[in-house]
Amino acid sequence: MGKLKPQPTVSEETAAEISAIFSSDRPWVVVVWDDPINLMTYVTYVFMTVFGFSKEKATELMLQVHNEGKSIVAKGAREEMERYVQQLHEYGLWATLAREDQI
Amino acid sequence: MTPTEGFLRHGSDTYIANFAETEREVLVNLVQQIIEILAERHDQANEDPLAAMVGITTHDSPPDDEVLLRLLPNAYQDGVDAAEFRRYTESTLRDKKRAHAMSIRMLLLSATDGDIVLDFENAQAWLGGLNDVRLALGVRLRVDQNSHEDLELLAPDDPMRAVYAVYTWLGWLQETLVEALMDEANS
Repeated sequence: MGKLKPQPTVSEETAAEISAIFSSDRPWVVVVWDDPINLMTYVTYVFMTVFGFSKEKATELMLQVHNEGKSIVAKGAREEMERYVQQLHEYGLWATLAREDQI
Repeated sequence: MTPTEGFLRHGSDTYIANFAETEREVLVNLVQQIIEILAERHDQANEDPLAAMVGITTHDSPPDDEVLLRLLPNAYQDGVDAAEFRRYTESTLRDKKRAHAMSIRMLLLSATDGDIVLDFENAQAWLGGLNDVRLALGVRLRVDQNSHEDLELLAPDDPMRAVYAVYTWLGWLQETLVEALMDEANS
Protein backbone atom coordinates (compact mmCIF):
# COMPACT_ATOMS: atom_id res chain seq x y z
CA MET A 1 0.00 0.00 0.00
CA GLY A 2 1.50 3.31 -1.06
CA LYS A 3 1.60 6.42 1.05
CA LEU A 4 -1.40 8.65 0.94
CA LYS A 5 -0.87 11.69 -1.17
CA PRO A 6 -0.86 14.70 1.13
CA GLN A 7 -3.97 16.74 0.73
CA PRO A 8 -3.68 20.48 1.17
CA THR A 9 -6.17 21.63 3.71
CA VAL A 10 -7.61 25.02 3.01
CA SER A 11 -9.21 26.23 6.18
CA GLU A 12 -10.49 29.77 6.41
CA GLU A 13 -7.38 30.72 8.36
CA THR A 14 -5.08 29.30 5.70
CA ALA A 15 -7.02 31.07 2.98
CA ALA A 16 -6.62 34.36 4.85
CA GLU A 17 -2.88 33.73 5.28
CA ILE A 18 -2.50 32.99 1.60
CA SER A 19 -4.41 36.03 0.47
CA ALA A 20 -2.34 38.18 2.86
CA ILE A 21 0.86 36.98 1.17
CA PHE A 22 -0.34 38.34 -2.15
CA SER A 23 -2.09 41.40 -0.85
CA SER A 24 -0.31 44.73 -1.27
CA ASP A 25 -2.30 46.57 1.36
CA ARG A 26 -0.70 44.98 4.40
CA PRO A 27 0.45 47.84 6.57
CA TRP A 28 3.98 49.17 6.52
CA VAL A 29 5.54 50.90 9.47
CA VAL A 30 8.13 53.62 10.00
CA VAL A 31 10.70 52.75 12.66
CA VAL A 32 12.90 55.40 14.25
CA TRP A 33 16.10 54.06 15.84
CA ASP A 34 17.99 55.49 18.77
CA ASP A 35 21.21 57.27 18.00
CA PRO A 36 23.51 59.06 20.41
CA ILE A 37 23.88 62.25 18.37
CA ASN A 38 20.38 63.63 17.79
CA LEU A 39 19.14 65.83 20.64
CA MET A 40 16.01 64.70 22.47
CA THR A 41 14.25 68.04 21.99
CA TYR A 42 15.16 67.99 18.31
CA VAL A 43 13.68 64.51 17.78
CA THR A 44 10.50 65.65 19.57
CA TYR A 45 10.27 68.73 17.35
CA VAL A 46 10.79 66.66 14.18
CA PHE A 47 7.97 64.27 15.19
CA MET A 48 5.66 67.25 15.78
CA THR A 49 6.60 68.82 12.43
CA VAL A 50 6.57 65.74 10.19
CA PHE A 51 3.57 63.90 11.70
CA GLY A 52 1.65 66.79 13.25
CA PHE A 53 1.77 65.10 16.69
CA SER A 54 1.06 67.03 19.88
CA LYS A 55 4.07 67.82 22.04
CA GLU A 56 2.92 65.14 24.53
CA LYS A 57 2.62 62.41 21.91
CA ALA A 58 5.90 63.40 20.22
CA THR A 59 7.71 63.39 23.59
CA GLU A 60 6.29 59.97 24.44
CA LEU A 61 7.55 58.48 21.15
CA MET A 62 10.94 60.20 21.52
CA LEU A 63 11.32 58.68 24.99
CA GLN A 64 10.42 55.26 23.61
CA VAL A 65 13.17 55.62 21.00
CA HIS A 66 15.59 56.73 23.70
CA ASN A 67 14.72 54.06 26.29
CA GLU A 68 13.84 51.07 24.13
CA GLY A 69 16.16 51.66 21.19
CA LYS A 70 13.39 52.13 18.65
CA SER A 71 9.79 53.19 18.15
CA ILE A 72 7.14 52.67 15.51
CA VAL A 73 6.01 56.19 14.70
CA ALA A 74 3.67 55.65 11.73
CA LYS A 75 1.73 52.88 10.01
CA GLY A 76 0.01 52.75 6.64
CA ALA A 77 0.45 52.35 2.91
CA ARG A 78 3.97 51.79 1.65
CA GLU A 79 4.23 54.93 -0.51
CA GLU A 80 3.09 57.15 2.33
CA MET A 81 5.56 55.53 4.75
CA GLU A 82 8.36 55.98 2.21
CA ARG A 83 7.62 59.70 2.05
CA TYR A 84 7.82 59.90 5.85
CA VAL A 85 11.17 58.09 5.91
CA GLN A 86 12.48 60.47 3.25
CA GLN A 87 11.40 63.47 5.35
CA LEU A 88 12.94 62.01 8.51
CA HIS A 89 16.21 61.48 6.63
CA GLU A 90 16.13 65.12 5.54
CA TYR A 91 16.08 66.01 9.24
CA GLY A 92 18.86 63.49 9.93
CA LEU A 93 16.87 61.01 11.98
CA TRP A 94 17.75 57.35 11.64
CA ALA A 95 14.55 55.85 10.21
CA THR A 96 13.69 52.75 8.22
CA LEU A 97 10.49 51.18 6.96
CA ALA A 98 9.33 47.59 7.06
CA ARG A 99 6.25 45.41 6.86
CA GLU A 100 4.43 45.48 10.16
CA ASP A 101 4.85 41.74 10.70
CA GLN A 102 8.60 41.89 10.09
CA ILE A 103 9.44 44.18 12.98
CA MET B 1 34.42 79.90 22.21
CA THR B 2 32.12 81.94 24.39
CA PRO B 3 28.51 81.18 23.68
CA THR B 4 26.23 84.16 23.34
CA GLU B 5 22.50 83.78 23.77
CA GLY B 6 21.92 81.48 20.84
CA PHE B 7 18.69 81.80 18.89
CA LEU B 8 15.78 83.80 20.25
CA ARG B 9 12.35 84.17 18.75
CA HIS B 10 11.18 87.66 17.79
CA GLY B 11 7.51 88.00 16.93
CA SER B 12 5.76 85.12 15.22
CA ASP B 13 8.15 84.20 12.45
CA THR B 14 11.65 85.50 13.14
CA TYR B 15 14.60 83.84 14.85
CA ILE B 16 17.68 85.87 15.65
CA ALA B 17 21.17 84.99 16.81
CA ASN B 18 24.49 86.79 16.93
CA PHE B 19 27.70 85.05 15.96
CA ALA B 20 31.19 86.04 17.05
CA GLU B 21 33.70 86.18 14.22
CA THR B 22 35.38 82.91 15.23
CA GLU B 23 32.02 81.14 15.53
CA ARG B 24 31.08 82.36 12.09
CA GLU B 25 34.36 81.14 10.59
CA VAL B 26 34.08 77.72 12.22
CA LEU B 27 30.52 77.18 11.05
CA VAL B 28 31.18 78.40 7.48
CA ASN B 29 34.10 76.00 7.30
CA LEU B 30 32.02 73.09 8.60
CA VAL B 31 29.07 73.55 6.23
CA GLN B 32 31.55 73.94 3.38
CA GLN B 33 32.87 70.49 4.25
CA ILE B 34 29.35 69.08 4.25
CA ILE B 35 28.81 70.55 0.76
CA GLU B 36 32.08 68.99 -0.40
CA ILE B 37 31.45 65.54 1.05
CA LEU B 38 27.98 65.46 -0.55
CA ALA B 39 29.52 66.50 -3.89
CA GLU B 40 32.00 63.61 -3.64
CA ARG B 41 29.11 61.21 -3.66
CA HIS B 42 27.69 62.96 -6.69
CA ASP B 43 30.93 63.03 -8.66
CA GLN B 44 32.01 59.46 -8.11
CA ALA B 45 29.06 58.12 -10.04
CA ASN B 46 28.74 58.32 -13.79
CA GLU B 47 25.29 59.75 -13.84
CA ASP B 48 23.10 59.10 -16.82
CA PRO B 49 22.09 62.70 -17.67
CA LEU B 50 18.52 61.75 -18.53
CA ALA B 51 18.08 59.72 -15.35
CA ALA B 52 19.70 62.52 -13.34
CA MET B 53 17.19 64.99 -14.82
CA VAL B 54 14.28 63.06 -13.35
CA GLY B 55 16.10 62.49 -10.07
CA ILE B 56 17.16 58.88 -10.54
CA THR B 57 20.71 58.00 -9.49
CA THR B 58 22.58 55.26 -11.26
CA HIS B 59 24.34 54.18 -8.10
CA ASP B 60 22.28 52.37 -5.54
CA SER B 61 24.84 50.95 -3.12
CA PRO B 62 25.22 52.64 0.27
CA PRO B 63 28.14 55.08 0.64
CA ASP B 64 31.43 53.56 1.87
CA ASP B 65 32.28 56.61 3.96
CA GLU B 66 30.66 56.35 7.38
CA VAL B 67 29.82 60.06 7.56
CA LEU B 68 28.10 59.95 4.16
CA LEU B 69 26.28 56.79 5.19
CA ARG B 70 24.93 58.60 8.27
CA LEU B 71 23.83 61.58 6.14
CA LEU B 72 22.32 59.36 3.43
CA PRO B 73 21.18 56.27 5.36
CA ASN B 74 19.48 53.13 4.11
CA ALA B 75 15.69 53.31 4.24
CA TYR B 76 15.29 49.53 4.53
CA GLN B 77 17.22 46.95 6.48
CA ASP B 78 16.85 44.65 3.49
CA GLY B 79 19.64 45.39 1.00
CA VAL B 80 17.59 44.95 -2.17
CA ASP B 81 14.77 47.24 -1.02
CA ALA B 82 17.32 49.76 0.29
CA ALA B 83 19.08 49.88 -3.09
CA GLU B 84 15.81 50.37 -4.96
CA PHE B 85 14.74 53.21 -2.64
CA ARG B 86 18.17 54.83 -2.88
CA ARG B 87 18.12 54.80 -6.67
CA TYR B 88 14.94 56.89 -6.73
CA THR B 89 15.43 59.15 -3.73
CA GLU B 90 19.09 59.70 -2.87
CA SER B 91 19.72 62.57 -5.26
CA THR B 92 16.72 64.46 -3.85
CA LEU B 93 17.97 63.91 -0.30
CA ARG B 94 21.46 65.04 -1.30
CA ASP B 95 20.08 68.19 -2.93
CA LYS B 96 18.03 69.02 0.18
CA LYS B 97 21.03 68.61 2.45
CA ARG B 98 23.18 70.68 0.13
CA ALA B 99 20.54 73.43 0.11
CA HIS B 100 20.46 73.44 3.93
CA ALA B 101 24.25 73.79 4.12
CA MET B 102 24.21 76.50 1.43
CA SER B 103 21.59 78.47 3.34
CA ILE B 104 23.77 78.48 6.47
CA ARG B 105 26.86 79.41 4.48
CA MET B 106 25.21 82.19 2.51
CA LEU B 107 23.56 83.85 5.52
CA LEU B 108 26.74 83.65 7.61
CA LEU B 109 28.84 85.17 4.84
CA SER B 110 26.40 88.03 4.27
CA ALA B 111 25.71 88.73 7.96
CA THR B 112 26.37 92.26 9.20
CA ASP B 113 28.06 92.36 12.63
CA GLY B 114 27.40 88.63 12.96
CA ASP B 115 23.62 89.09 13.13
CA ILE B 116 21.65 86.19 11.67
CA VAL B 117 17.93 86.68 11.08
CA LEU B 118 15.92 83.64 10.01
CA ASP B 119 12.33 83.33 8.85
CA PHE B 120 10.49 80.05 9.45
CA GLU B 121 11.68 78.46 6.22
CA ASN B 122 15.33 79.40 6.81
CA ALA B 123 15.02 78.19 10.40
CA GLN B 124 14.03 74.73 9.10
CA ALA B 125 17.01 74.72 6.72
CA TRP B 126 19.35 75.73 9.56
CA LEU B 127 17.94 73.10 11.87
CA GLY B 128 18.57 70.34 9.32
CA GLY B 129 21.93 71.79 8.28
CA LEU B 130 23.22 72.16 11.86
CA ASN B 131 22.11 68.62 12.55
CA ASP B 132 24.03 67.32 9.52
CA VAL B 133 27.21 68.97 10.84
CA ARG B 134 26.60 67.42 14.29
CA LEU B 135 26.02 64.01 12.68
CA ALA B 136 29.29 64.29 10.76
CA LEU B 137 31.27 65.38 13.85
CA GLY B 138 29.52 62.82 16.06
CA VAL B 139 30.44 59.97 13.71
CA ARG B 140 34.09 61.09 13.66
CA LEU B 141 34.13 61.47 17.46
CA ARG B 142 32.57 58.01 17.78
CA VAL B 143 30.01 59.28 20.27
CA ASP B 144 28.34 55.87 20.06
CA GLN B 145 31.36 54.27 21.76
CA ASN B 146 32.80 57.17 23.73
CA SER B 147 30.75 58.58 26.58
CA HIS B 148 30.61 62.32 27.21
CA GLU B 149 32.87 61.70 30.18
CA ASP B 150 35.47 60.04 27.91
CA LEU B 151 35.32 62.98 25.52
CA GLU B 152 35.55 65.56 28.31
CA LEU B 153 38.78 63.88 29.43
CA LEU B 154 40.57 64.12 26.08
CA ALA B 155 44.12 65.45 26.46
CA PRO B 156 44.54 69.18 25.75
CA ASP B 157 46.78 68.39 22.76
CA ASP B 158 44.39 65.83 21.29
CA PRO B 159 42.94 67.34 18.10
CA MET B 160 39.63 65.63 18.89
CA ARG B 161 39.29 67.83 21.97
CA ALA B 162 38.69 70.89 19.78
CA VAL B 163 36.30 68.89 17.61
CA TYR B 164 34.36 67.89 20.71
CA ALA B 165 34.20 71.54 21.83
CA VAL B 166 32.68 72.51 18.47
CA TYR B 167 30.29 69.54 18.65
CA THR B 168 28.95 70.59 22.07
CA TRP B 169 28.72 74.23 20.97
CA LEU B 170 26.63 73.22 17.93
CA GLY B 171 24.40 71.04 20.13
CA TRP B 172 23.77 74.01 22.37
CA LEU B 173 23.12 76.30 19.38
CA GLN B 174 20.71 73.82 17.79
CA GLU B 175 18.88 73.40 21.08
CA THR B 176 18.27 77.16 21.33
CA LEU B 177 16.80 77.13 17.80
CA VAL B 178 14.57 74.12 18.58
CA GLU B 179 13.34 75.83 21.75
CA ALA B 180 12.61 79.06 19.88
CA LEU B 181 10.62 77.09 17.28
CA MET B 182 8.80 75.04 19.94
CA ASP B 183 7.64 78.26 21.62
CA GLU B 184 5.83 79.03 18.45
CA ALA B 185 4.46 75.52 18.06
CA ASN B 186 2.86 75.90 21.49
CA SER B 187 1.38 79.33 21.07
